[in-house]
Amino acid sequence: MLYQATHITRYRYDEPVSHCLNEARLTPRNFPGQVLHQSRLHVEPEPAMMERRKDYFGNDVTTFAVFRTHDLFSATATSVVEVQARPFADTPRIPWEDARDQLSHHATDDLLEAYEFVFDSPFVASARPLLEYALPSFTTGRPLLDAAEELSHRIHSDFRYEPESTSIDMPLLEVFEHRQGVCQDFAHIMIGALRSLGLAVRYVSGYLRSGATYQGADASHAWVSVFVPGAGWTDFDPTNDVRPSEGHLTLGWGRDYSDVTPMKGIALGGGKQIVEVEVRVEPLARTSE
Amino acid sequence: MKNTALREPKTREHEWRYQPTEGHWDEALWRKGFPRRHWRELMVSLGRMGFQQLSRRWRAGQQLIQTNGITYNVYGDPQGKERPWLMDPIPLVLDAAEWAGIESALMQRATLLNAVLGDLYGAQTLIRNRELPAALLFGNSNFLRACSGIVPPQSVYLHNYAADLARSPDGTWWIISDRTQAPSGVGYALENRLVSARTLPSVFSQCNVRHLAGFFNEQRDGLLQLAPNHRSDPRIVLLTPGPHNETYFEHSFLARQWGFPLVEGADLTVRDNRVFLKTLAGLEPVDLILRRMDDGFCDPLELRGDSLLGIPGLVQAVRSGHVAVANALGSGLVESAALMPFLPALSRHLLGEKLGMPSVATWWCGDPQPRQYVLEHLEQVVIKPTFPRAGPGAEFPARMSASERENLARRIEAQPEQYVAQEQVALSTTPVRTDAGLAARHVVLRVFAAWNGHGYSVMPGGLTRVSTEDRSLVVSMQLGGGSKDTWVLSAHEQAFALRAGPVPLSQPRGFGELPSRVADNLFWLGRYAERVEAGVRMARALLPGLSGEEDFGRTASIDTIVHLLAGLGFLPAELLHSSIGHQRWQVERLLGNMVFDPSRTSGIGWNLKHLRRVTWPLKERLSQDTWRVLQQLELNFSTAPPASPEHRLVMAMNLLDQSIVTLSAFAGLLMENTTRGYGWRFLDIGRRLERALQMTEWLRVGIAQAPFENEPHLELLLQVADSSITYRTRYLTNMRTEHVLDLLLADEANPRSVAFQLATLLEHVQNLPDPSNGESTPHDYEVAGRLLSSVRLAQAEDLATRDADGNMGALEELLGQIKTDLYDVSNALTARYLSHLTMSRMKSF
Repeated sequence: MLYQATHITRYRYDEPVSHCLNEARLTPRNFPGQVLHQSRLHVEPEPAMMERRKDYFGNDVTTFAVFRTHDLFSATATSVVEVQARPFADTPRIPWEDARDQLSHHATDDLLEAYEFVFDSPFVASARPLLEYALPSFTTGRPLLDAAEELSHRIHSDFRYEPESTSIDMPLLEVFEHRQGVCQDFAHIMIGALRSLGLAVRYVSGYLRSGATYQGADASHAWVSVFVPGAGWTDFDPTNDVRPSEGHLTLGWGRDYSDVTPMKGIALGGGKQIVEVEVRVEPLARTSE
Repeated sequence: MKNTALREPKTREHEWRYQPTEGHWDEALWRKGFPRRHWRELMVSLGRMGFQQLSRRWRAGQQLIQTNGITYNVYGDPQGKERPWLMDPIPLVLDAAEWAGIESALMQRATLLNAVLGDLYGAQTLIRNRELPAALLFGNSNFLRACSGIVPPQSVYLHNYAADLARSPDGTWWIISDRTQAPSGVGYALENRLVSARTLPSVFSQCNVRHLAGFFNEQRDGLLQLAPNHRSDPRIVLLTPGPHNETYFEHSFLARQWGFPLVEGADLTVRDNRVFLKTLAGLEPVDLILRRMDDGFCDPLELRGDSLLGIPGLVQAVRSGHVAVANALGSGLVESAALMPFLPALSRHLLGEKLGMPSVATWWCGDPQPRQYVLEHLEQVVIKPTFPRAGPGAEFPARMSASERENLARRIEAQPEQYVAQEQVALSTTPVRTDAGLAARHVVLRVFAAWNGHGYSVMPGGLTRVSTEDRSLVVSMQLGGGSKDTWVLSAHEQAFALRAGPVPLSQPRGFGELPSRVADNLFWLGRYAERVEAGVRMARALLPGLSGEEDFGRTASIDTIVHLLAGLGFLPAELLHSSIGHQRWQVERLLGNMVFDPSRTSGIGWNLKHLRRVTWPLKERLSQDTWRVLQQLELNFSTAPPASPEHRLVMAMNLLDQSIVTLSAFAGLLMENTTRGYGWRFLDIGRRLERALQMTEWLRVGIAQAPFENEPHLELLLQVADSSITYRTRYLTNMRTEHVLDLLLADEANPRSVAFQLATLLEHVQNLPDPSNGESTPHDYEVAGRLLSSVRLAQAEDLATRDADGNMGALEELLGQIKTDLYDVSNALTARYLSHLTMSRMKSF
């Protein structure tokens, strides 16, 4: 499926900002299963500097600085991306304990790379309550994929999707106790639970196709990816209890939200800020090829 | 055999009896009563000196520590108090042969850790080849992924490195910890040397103690070479987290020694991936940042997301190669104790050498076999976290109850890679002077290495730290332990050196320019100092009126005082119509609170607090005397008020009288000890601006808004303005509004008049640097000039005229204009030089 994605972030300040410095991770990633055709980032006021690079996890990062005094700021990212359907069949039935042990021995380059995602990260630390929450799904010898799917399903039914109910600064265990949150929280809970078992999980930042009945459309979305030895990274969306496929557009991935924050920045001045975010992901008619 | 260390005939004092602790290596004695060979000279001359003499010299040394302002901030102290540095007069002595071993081991260790950093931030082959467990990299929060792939100039990640050494009972030295982030201590070591060389001058020169100066020069040479682009005159700054950091003293000390500006994060800014220092004259490029801030805090954009310290964009500037940071960002990674078991193999692999000095026996619980050993020998080890994190630091299973130990074992088993176990070294002992005589204390020696451009140089000395009590094996400056100078003896005679410290360094191309933040602080220092003084003067002029029987010139009736205070907004206006008794009581209460209640915003104590707040970051720019005076002032106003109201008034009067004198001393010291540069100008601008504002307000309330020509009002005004005597000499006793206005408003020779402040202000503004290079007339200059001429042009007679309703329109208008213009000047100056917007994090989405 070919999409055009538009992501607009607007900041309104009640005092002027003399300058700001930002990092945006708004360029969809190229990888088997997704092809990026075009992408651009338009910032107002006009930035004095804009640079692109790849980060540690291979995501595209755009750094820019605005030196004009302003009280309105907007960044508009547009891209054209082709997302392929992901096959779910033929997945290996590897027991979760085997996956865990293979990771801890990390005998191949793939496993070593995945092993990095077993460890605590700034927003997600493994913890006893998370482990205990995960265990009922991770019975002895159960295939990893089945168990992960069930965990995703349970998070979806145990947690309430409640925009505005949490802030990103809220500690994970507090979110866990409240049993409610937004897609970042759902993803972080699942990552924490799986890491507590010694499994490798990534945080995936992206979008949902507009108009879908899913939670989290028309905003930036997040889900998780679990490393399954023999099959590679396999995505789960606990917010919507689905396995992402053609309807999920990937921006990038990291250990948690802090590695792939779509837009972050430091401003000088500004006082109070009001932020609006608008995301549209529309299917594009394929031009003749 | 008598139990005396020193068997000189003259010293039989019981204080000389030194009893090392059994079961530990003693640094000074090889067996009871017999000093080791390299200690002999020191011991003999201490013996000759006698205990009393040593104690006298020690007191002189303490004095020197006070005078030099050597302090150490203690975390967790709500007052942010500094504590004087604790130092023992008896140095730790090491002989040349032993030192040679330490020196080469340290060079090797620095080289090795540098190579490990290069690999982990580069190809990570050590992980791929399993020379190092991947968990030690991936699980370490000091692994800054943002810095991966950045290669520093000359591949030097560690510019400076320190290690803590301990000596076990068999005499072997062990490295017990590595410091690779931003090691502290060299400055304190140097200060210790200055004090010890003065306390024991003759024995110091007899002993051939190696000098420290060369090390500081080599360290600086190494830094110069690390500046990118091989500029011949690189600009280097020393980055500090600020005055509340525990070792701030050292930061300012080293900055002075090396001639580098001492800066905080907000002093620097990144433009076009280059780092600049914000100065009054504009942005000055910076080539190298010597950081004393932990790397995670250095860039709030790319590094820690929960802090706003540091310089946004710094990582990108480093990545693009325009600026270098020493130690490199991310170097804290190799501080983990869990690395120690792997170092012998890494040394063979990376350097092709055997590790020169062993680390203390260390087991990383992430590996099954060591874990097994640790769990079986829990009582013999110290447990530490593998990675830095909140929560318990070192834990001592030997001191735990059985259930606590069980709990610990369970925690280890649940997350084994999070724990490291180390053998508890039976630290060696060394003599210290106590009031009761010599006593044995445990020793940890911190030694330092620095990149010199070709390799690592090791400081021939170190910071010896001793435990507080003889039984304690915990040696920590944070916990109140003491320190010593460290004497490394040379086989050769040391060249004669005038100074124990570094030879004066040729200044690198300095920043004559003042950092804007410092100018800002000086500006506010001026304003608050003046505000305090105005409060004191006002209270002192008004208080006598309350007792009713003062020789108060003429009579300032209570309603005059109430009128003034209500006009200034200190008392509610309704009070004007209250009974005299009620008025008196209210005024008394207000003035009492001003003097005694530090929580009142109008109070003197409150303004003093703010004065201290702006003065604190200027520490290295102010003299010790200035600090003492400020402390005295604060002390004055923190005394509890006496209960009886009459006593309160008397005491308040005394306090105020004292404080006027102390304040004058403070003002005098500031003016006399501040170099006449831009800094001094900003200090004085603040003072003039505040004084002009205060006086304008007094004139408005005391004259323009006075109900009628009121002699007591005028009298009071002159009192507050300290101008009564001038007035009387000039105008005799004839109290007239136009004369008072002439003296307090227009007379440019009276240092309290508005015109005097305006003239001085204009002179300062004229002499400030012009970042626009003369392209435009700055607004502040324009307004200040206009303001002065309007005051000069005004005629006192016209201003003093009242219309039929008793209003003084011309005066009101002029005073109103002065006030608006003064704020205008202040804002324009702030915008031009001091613009300090607060940094904020944009909400992330």
